[in-house]
Amino acid sequence: MSRTTYRSSRLRAVAVPAVATVLAAGALAGCGGSGGGADSKTVTMWTYPVIFDEAKNKEYWDGLVKAFEKKHAGVTVKVETFPWANRDTALATAIASGKGPDVVYLIPDQLPKYAKNIVPADDYMPADAKKDYTDFALESVTVGGKALGAPVLTSANPLICDKRVFDAIGETAYPTTWAELEALAPKLKKKGYYATSYSGDTQQTLNMTFYPLLWQAGGDVFAEGGKKTAFNSAEGVKALTYLKKLVAAGYTDKDLVTTTPKLEQTPVAKGKVACTWQNTPADVEPFWGKENIVVKPPLKDAKSVGYGTVGALSLLKGGNTELAGDWINFAAEAKNAAGLEKGAGYFPARTSGGDLYPGDALQKAVGATLPTMTAGPLEEKAREVMGVLAPEIQAALLGKKSPKEALDAAAKAADAMASR
Amino acid sequence: MAVVADHTRRRTRRGPQARREARIGLLFVLPCFLLFLAFRFGPGVAGVLMSFTDYTLTGGGKFIGVDNFTRLWADPLFWQALKVTVLYTVLAVPGTLIASVALALLTRRAFRGSKVFRSVFFLPVVTSLVLAATVFVWIFSTGGPWATFVSWFGMSDESWLSSDTLVVPALAVVGVWSRFGYGMLILLARMQDIPRELEEAALTDGAGPWQRFRHIVLPQLRPALFFLAVIETTASFQVFDAVYTMTGGGPANASYTLVFQLYDAGFKYFDLGYASAIGVALFVLTLVVAVMQRLVIGKDQ
Repeated sequence: MSRTTYRSSRLRAVAVPAVATVLAAGALAGCGGSGGGADSKTVTMWTYPVIFDEAKNKEYWDGLVKAFEKKHAGVTVKVETFPWANRDTALATAIASGKGPDVVYLIPDQLPKYAKNIVPADDYMPADAKKDYTDFALESVTVGGKALGAPVLTSANPLICDKRVFDAIGETAYPTTWAELEALAPKLKKKGYYATSYSGDTQQTLNMTFYPLLWQAGGDVFAEGGKKTAFNSAEGVKALTYLKKLVAAGYTDKDLVTTTPKLEQTPVAKGKVACTWQNTPADVEPFWGKENIVVKPPLKDAKSVGYGTVGALSLLKGGNTELAGDWINFAAEAKNAAGLEKGAGYFPARTSGGDLYPGDALQKAVGATLPTMTAGPLEEKAREVMGVLAPEIQAALLGKKSPKEALDAAAKAADAMASR
Repeated sequence: MAVVADHTRRRTRRGPQARREARIGLLFVLPCFLLFLAFRFGPGVAGVLMSFTDYTLTGGGKFIGVDNFTRLWADPLFWQALKVTVLYTVLAVPGTLIASVALALLTRRAFRGSKVFRSVFFLPVVTSLVLAATVFVWIFSTGGPWATFVSWFGMSDESWLSSDTLVVPALAVVGVWSRFGYGMLILLARMQDIPRELEEAALTDGAGPWQRFRHIVLPQLRPALFFLAVIETTASFQVFDAVYTMTGGGPANASYTLVFQLYDAGFKYFDLGYASAIGVALFVLTLVVAVMQRLVIGKDQ
């Protein structure tokens, strides 16, 4: 081997691992630190496929970003769309490591957990814009007396019924109360239909499943002040007893108490369910056909109330608050949010948003139920309470416990957590 | 002193060329070692440290001693999750080992289509468990294929996933299905190394198939079985995705596992200190079981 070749091979032998080490160290260094900063001219926003169609979702945000950047020379807005699944895992990890976005799309259920990381909306929201919001929209993002985001859309989960099922049993009157639904159930069962569909899977939010019944009975999840739970009241027991009766009599599919199959595998999609409050018209339209969807106000026992939600843009601490606030205000303007609301089939959060669906009877009917909607408890421990309550509801529905025993056990565990 | 002297003598025996090669060797290992430190060891240590704090996403992070562990000890949900996890492991690990051995024996010799069978049996390992679990929800549903099959033997045709006694066996079946292909592959590789003469000699001596398996094949498989037992136990203690997709921990927490509790505490309630304490408990448990396995199965290796 010549001296030169030996040297070059020796050089390579040392250089290759050295370069690899530098690269690895560089990669590690890149893991630390946080983006943004108070002087940053870039706003990053995380959102989710609110508009289901990926291309339309991108088109909407691209258009909005372009218009904003035109108004603010030298500013860059980066909108990143993440999947809905495990969104809290991704967001929580990013915030904890200082890599969170400046702005994020959140729903009321998420707000209490992120409250300490969010800049209150009053710091950037103009007074006239605040006044323009509907009570439902603004109250749903208010935690501890402070609005934690600028609402950009509202949605409702009314009672929806499958016209084909009612035609099949020769009924023309749709249920408005618990008693009416229960009275219809035996007739439906005889013909092979379920009266409703209840999903008891503990990963489902109770906001869409059990809480509407609790509210309809006149009960609530938390007592005044949010430090103690109230769901084991007489109203709570009444709601769970009603539900247990539906499951035990076979008026709803028992398998769904424990599992959540894909929507197309459920009795709802197969046209076997008369009415449901756990799906939206958009969910069932591909299976039922628009003409067979009958929208009714939420069921009533003591009162008619359902679950609705609000989509809001929240400003996270640590970035250029002023610039990110400007972007939120811009995106939340009624005319700018309209594209998002309409693209996703939702409703305006502001009174000036007007009627987005003239001539669409179905959407008009859903929109009319908005005043009866509530976004669920906005307490810090709301999710923990769901965590202990959902398995107890399952236990009651499967006949392992009485409704009273189940709710008392959940309340005991939940109160211990809420006071911690 | 003697040890030091001996050590020095040995070091001096190595030439400059050997030392240079050792240094270069170390340099080659360094990038991987750095990444290991940063992404495996570092987070592990950080997790242990975090378990002594009240760290949540929204602040906190002060040292609270062993509070998280005393809370864990008093938490009935932890004991329930531990019970479920251990039951799952007791069912899934032997199930996987038996299925792996059986299928490795069946596909051991080359016959027409043996490669196809091996590939097909390995397929579940590379299939997304979340995807497969969706299909298994249908298979186990009331009136579904599994329920219909067991009803022929006089059992109820109700969904196993709705029963608090049958839900863990159902999950174990899915666990075995998703893992046996890997075990089969490891055992097949080991079986190829067993000298054929040994079995032929036993055959000449009049040993039956069971005796040949029991006294010749099985002893040779022992190191591979030990390896698989440790790997499978660790995997079983960490069962999550099938439970998440199929039952959500239900009915009434009957399939709520330790990693599920860790996930809920960490990513649903953002109680990261408590989640870390669950992680530490899981680590200790896995370590103890692995040591026990070493004493029982792998004592000669």
